[in-house]
Amino acid sequence: MDDKEQPPGIVLTEAQKKKRRERSIAIALALGVLVVLFFAVTLVKGPAVLNRPL
Amino acid sequence: MSIVENHPLTLPPRISEAGVGDYIALLKPRVMSLVVFTALVGLLIAPGHVHPVLAITSILCIAVGAGASGALNMWYDADIDALMSRTAKRPVPTGRVTPQEALAFGLILSFFSVTTLGTLVNWVAGGLLAFTIFFYAVIYTMWLKRWTAQNIVIGGAAGALPPVVAWAAATGSLSAEPIFLFLIIFFWTPPHFWALALFRSDDYARAGVPMLPVVAGPDATRLQILLYTVVLVAVAAAPWALGYFDAIYGVSSLLLGGWMLWLAIDVYRRREGKAAVRAARRLFGFSLLYLFALFAILLLEVVVAAVLAQFA
Repeated sequence: MDDKEQPPGIVLTEAQKKKRRERSIAIALALGVLVVLFFAVTLVKGPAVLNRPL
Repeated sequence: MSIVENHPLTLPPRISEAGVGDYIALLKPRVMSLVVFTALVGLLIAPGHVHPVLAITSILCIAVGAGASGALNMWYDADIDALMSRTAKRPVPTGRVTPQEALAFGLILSFFSVTTLGTLVNWVAGGLLAFTIFFYAVIYTMWLKRWTAQNIVIGGAAGALPPVVAWAAATGSLSAEPIFLFLIIFFWTPPHFWALALFRSDDYARAGVPMLPVVAGPDATRLQILLYTVVLVAVAAAPWALGYFDAIYGVSSLLLGGWMLWLAIDVYRRREGKAAVRAARRLFGFSLLYLFALFAILLLEVVVAAVLAQFA
């Protein structure tokens, strides 16, 4: 059996964790806006949402 | 037996420290603000009624599409951006965002902006937005920019398309008015960028970008600025002369155009020293105001007409 300690792997610094969290929140907000946009347009256009002029 | 152990060289994976601000910088927010404004005018002067939700969707998609073009531009141009003082602090040359991250960001935003505009509004606008992004990222950035002194003349078409996309979003088709808006921005681009290039030519020369002052010299550039400004003033007044826009726009375009022409003549006359730099800076600054004012007048006329219609 190997008694050697496993290396801790990648440990993020506090600054990296903070930036990652900021980016995650921004992605979540962008996706939220996209969902709201599609929902709002569906309400506005009703069933005609798929009837688009080419 | 070897005394050198054969360990593969493993570098620690790069952990991004890029903030949201860095990704916003990739979108070129200042360029985006002009795109949003010109697109808004294209949308509002279009005939017929556009539902506010569809109007907001259109402007948002056009803005994100413009931002995606900016990100793709910063991905491809990172090498020359690093050499120019104006662009050296951008996220890719400084290493805060890797070129691969900028590319992925640009491609994802391009996909979402085009498909959202096409799906929710119409595919004429979606197709035009896709063409705009392609023209800016591929035709201008990858091809023209490093190849010819006419780079910003032809590439200017990408910057001129947003009001056309917006008009198409509102109407599902095209007509003369958005073509006029396109031509105004198209002929405005050379005097605007060449005025900048006159006092930034060292930057462009260092980066090997064949801007007109670097390739043909400042005097040839001054003449080209003057000629393009004459054409711009005529093109800007044409929609009034041909009866598409009214007299308030026409007179304003001539007054603004007259001042722009005067500044272009000043650039042509002052060729040496600080006076020459000052003249170029003045023209560059005023050209921004000129385009903004011209489109603002069109916007104001629409707003005033809508308000008067409420009371009629």
